Amino acid sequence: MELLYFPGCSLESSGKRLGKGLRRIMEMLRVRLKEVPDWNCCGASEYEERAQILALSRRNIEKARGLGDTLLAPCPACAKNLKEVAKDIEVVHPLDLPFSSYASLNIKRDLKGKVFTPFYGCLLLRPKETAIKNPYIMEEFVELLGGEVDGERVRNLCCGGAQLFREKEITRRLCERILGRSRGTILVFCPLCHMAIKTFSAGRSVAYFTDLLLYTLDEEV
Amino acid sequence: MQAQRIKEVSSLSGQGLEELFVCLGCKICASVCPLNDCGLEVNPRDLLTALFLGEPLDTEAPLIEFCVGCYRCTEECPWGIRVPEVIRALRSVLGLESAFERAFRSSVGRYGRVRECYVILKTLPFLVKRGYGRYLVRWLEYVGLGGSKRSEM
Repeated sequence: MELLYFPGCSLESSGKRLGKGLRRIMEMLRVRLKEVPDWNCCGASEYEERAQILALSRRNIEKARGLGDTLLAPCPACAKNLKEVAKDIEVVHPLDLPFSSYASLNIKRDLKGKVFTPFYGCLLLRPKETAIKNPYIMEEFVELLGGEVDGERVRNLCCGGAQLFREKEITRRLCERILGRSRGTILVFCPLCHMAIKTFSAGRSVAYFTDLLLYTLDEEV
Repeated sequence: MQAQRIKEVSSLSGQGLEELFVCLGCKICASVCPLNDCGLEVNPRDLLTALFLGEPLDTEAPLIEFCVGCYRCTEECPWGIRVPEVIRALRSVLGLESAFERAFRSSVGRYGRVRECYVILKTLPFLVKRGYGRYLVRWLEYVGLGGSKRSEM
């Protein structure tokens, strides 16, 4: 199986761990990733004009045209922006992929005795038009492997990452609410959530969902 | 002047005036806004009303300054009004963009992508002045230094 791949800026720099982990997992699932040639930034949410953000994503979709039917975008902001403009290409987030594909991997370790707080944050769940299909996929995976799920009250809250380089006090307060109302390792799939929560985590574990998958497969990033 | 401003905000946010004017004033947006969990008192409904009525906007209003773009208001709004996009438009109209946003766009303009080293260098005075130095050690793993191959489980 082959998927078109849009890594996005974060996965090439501060979110490199997520990018590497995802590539490793895709390799194990025998999914070939074909990177969109000469892609540009999706604009995240840093443009004041919506039309500018849409134009950046249209350019990316244009570059992907004719190269495949399905485009994989692991960064929640990229996935949201690309989903908004894609018409003849289906844009999917890794969490949109069928759950059975993960569960079919050769799992070597279970999660018994461990506690996790799956944290989706904002853009994987909102706006609903671009949300992932199964908003409980991380919980299902943890429970399947015998782990305990916590943090039901915080799973869809905002980490305030958008204010991390604007007014970090807001980010700190929002992250502390998340940390204070949940237990165990915080599982994220967003490079910005990872950085924001980790910044204020005071030693609490924060991991990408890909880290969890690799752990169960006894693999390293 | 005021009529001009609402048109500009509407156009930048990609929502027609008719999509913004449908606000019912129910304030459900305020009830879910995370800024209200941070000890601030914000109400997107009041901001929309001020815009519609052409009233002067308080440029230091915490909502404009601190909106985190989480779309919780949009999700709950009966009309799905995209308040975060209205806020971004307002930041532009009122000249309230951050050093980080400017550096981000400058990087995309120059390289087509966000080069984080470029953004950090461009925002260095802001980072130093606002006390980000204390997080640098913690952030080393994000630039590929430190951080283990094994995950934190």
